[in-house]
Amino acid sequence: MKRLFVVLLILSCVCSVFASGSKEASSASNFGTALKGPGNVTLKRLGYNVAFDVNKDIIVQVTKQATGYDVEYYALPAQNADEKLLMEVASGKDYDVVNLTVDQWRTLVSNGALQPLNDLLDSYGQDILKGNSAETWKALSDEKGTIYGVPYMYPYGTEVSSFMVARMDLLRKAGIQEIPTTLDAFYDMLVTLKKFYGDQYIILAGPYRNAAEGSQALTFPRIISSAFGIYNDWMVEDGKVIYLSEHKNFPALVSFLAKCATEGLFDSDWAANTTSSITEKFASGKAIIACADRNLAQSSIPVLKSNLGLTDDDFGFISALEGSDGTCTYLESTAINHVSAILKNSKNASDAVNWMNLKVQNQLFINIGVEGIHFTYDTDGSIKPINPIFADERGNSYYYNDVTNEAEFKFEWPSRIRKSAAQWLAFDNVTMKTNKERPEIFVKNEFAFMPASENMAKYNTTLLNSINDFVLQVMSGSRSVDDIKTYTNDWKNNGGEAVRSDLAAYLASK
Amino acid sequence: MRLNDRTNKMKLNTSSERIFSFVSYVLMTILGMICLLPCLHVVSKSISGGSAILSGQITFWPKGIQFRTCSYILTQTGFITSLKNTLFVTIVGTCISMFTTITTAYPLSKPKFVGRKLFIMLYVFSMVFFGGIVPAYMVVNTLGILDTYWAMILPFAIVQFNMFVVKSYFESLPESIEEAAYIDGASDGQTLVSIVLPMSTPIAATVSLLYAINYWNNYFHAMMYTSSPNMRTLQVYLYDLINNGQAIMENLYGSAFGSSVGVVSDTNMTADGMVAAAVTLSIIPIVMVYPFVQRFMIKGITIGSVKG
Repeated sequence: MKRLFVVLLILSCVCSVFASGSKEASSASNFGTALKGPGNVTLKRLGYNVAFDVNKDIIVQVTKQATGYDVEYYALPAQNADEKLLMEVASGKDYDVVNLTVDQWRTLVSNGALQPLNDLLDSYGQDILKGNSAETWKALSDEKGTIYGVPYMYPYGTEVSSFMVARMDLLRKAGIQEIPTTLDAFYDMLVTLKKFYGDQYIILAGPYRNAAEGSQALTFPRIISSAFGIYNDWMVEDGKVIYLSEHKNFPALVSFLAKCATEGLFDSDWAANTTSSITEKFASGKAIIACADRNLAQSSIPVLKSNLGLTDDDFGFISALEGSDGTCTYLESTAINHVSAILKNSKNASDAVNWMNLKVQNQLFINIGVEGIHFTYDTDGSIKPINPIFADERGNSYYYNDVTNEAEFKFEWPSRIRKSAAQWLAFDNVTMKTNKERPEIFVKNEFAFMPASENMAKYNTTLLNSINDFVLQVMSGSRSVDDIKTYTNDWKNNGGEAVRSDLAAYLASK
Repeated sequence: MRLNDRTNKMKLNTSSERIFSFVSYVLMTILGMICLLPCLHVVSKSISGGSAILSGQITFWPKGIQFRTCSYILTQTGFITSLKNTLFVTIVGTCISMFTTITTAYPLSKPKFVGRKLFIMLYVFSMVFFGGIVPAYMVVNTLGILDTYWAMILPFAIVQFNMFVVKSYFESLPESIEEAAYIDGASDGQTLVSIVLPMSTPIAATVSLLYAINYWNNYFHAMMYTSSPNMRTLQVYLYDLINNGQAIMENLYGSAFGSSVGVVSDTNMTADGMVAAAVTLSIIPIVMVYPFVQRFMIKGITIGSVKG
């Protein structure tokens, strides 16, 4: 019995040695796997969380029709997505394509979990390579130029994502016929409305914290700060990195905001407002003007049309305002939305790249559809969707995008906004109009592709909260603009210089 | 004289008791309202028109009553699949958990069981110390049950606290009845099934309810151990809906379903309304079952407490 036990123990040790050896061998053979081709392999794709069943959407069949590949789709949870992703990767899950946030991608790269893609892209991903800019590829490569992911860029970098929506019916009643385009005209409009309506309405409800801005939300509208040349919390002026509070026009901006607040031109709940409360105030007709984005427009404009009998002409949209000296700057939101990468555990790396490349080749068909069935071309050449079939059969295609041809997708993407008449009304009157009439206002984000730095992660949120608090305190009257010197000292103590040095180093390396 | 003193004392007690009762009723009513009114608000939102919801008109009563939102949740989202998954996990999980709990508690309730103290110590140790999420995930992964129902059931197969409660109950049963069964020739298993379990119906019902609530409400294990959308449980589904409600609305505009329910006019469905409808529909099974298990629920709250 004892001998049997010893023999079994030895056998189990020997088997474990062979098992680990074969595992290493099999993992080594994952690199540069031969192309099996569509129909001969089922790929596995892991993406971010959504509420619909990602295996049952019609886009699954559309993508298969376009590429020939069968794909199983999986989704991360809404909560603890990063932890779940790391555990699945560490436990050896063999997803072929993982669609990641930039932070998740960086974590997996630093842990050596991703396959280098240079050879695979050269062999099977020429359309992917040609469809994205050199700067984008540099952001997804290490120091040696090894590419570890393919980018899905935000489709419309020159979007005025934060704007204002106004009730033109109320403006006309007060004698205002046109939407202001300059800061002075904007102020005059607010004063006129206040004189005419008094406390009957909230003149301007805000600030709207755009969900896309996340923790980077500022407590004042960007279309007001645009008139002062202020477009972001960190900016580059004459080659130098400066913070918002260091901009020469920052005292003037804060004074203007305080003046408007003191004169009752802004909502008295400015400091406490949320996106829900602003939507409610505008949709219920309590506010004449609201700080907004496309989501607010989509939800509140139809409610007002239904409840008050308004038409499209009764809504006006205020874009980035111009200063008296002609200054107008708005941050270009060029950024990598998601990165698709291939895990080292994948057994179908070549087919994964081939699949993504085929999707880029068939980008129009997968995302927009067939001309005459899903869309037509408008008189100005833009794509106009045919609803409801466009929304039904291409509505969720955004989820299945891994990589696009940037230039072509920028032309195609606005058609997706046109699913909602209200969203399109806002987008057309703000973004499309600004791009047509004033494309020069957009300022490139010099730090769009900057890797996360320790100081940035440690201090930037505190700095942003601190500047927001300062602005709100000046607006409420509890602090004065002259306190900016005290604020600057606090800023330095809160890690401002540390973050600046990281940004400056990155800028110098570009 | 003494009778008068006693009568006077009784009158005082009656007055103070009345005041106390009045204050208690008022406080309980307020507490009840605090619990009930948010529920009314959610239910009202679930069947109210979108314009009323968006303009903040909904308090405790619905306005512009419509059932299209509920219809959308039931027919166009994964609600039914999630409900089915949750029901399976709850029913099967409760049965498995009761089996493991009873078959563990019974031998541990017998002083003559060899190694009893060691096993009790091991269970206490595992009750106090948890290995962590990563080792737990690795165990589930190694067992090959990731992305299956068993990943949501087996980690909960036995809850040590419930086992100790059942063990205590078994210990309180009179030994003479079991001894009589042994004398008649019954084995341990027969004694357990034929004698002990019928006498343990109250505790079995209470512990079953605790397990069922545990399985029904469990979010973490379902979230952590499943990746396929069709394996989502109700709690995961609700959380995903809450996080993605706005995205769903964006895709509804212009769709055929949207047109049919008036979403094109954008007045009937909203993200908030959808979430409220999903939450309301998900509590219906619980509300239907609760009247029958209420007394066990109350007993379960006090279970394990120290009795004088």
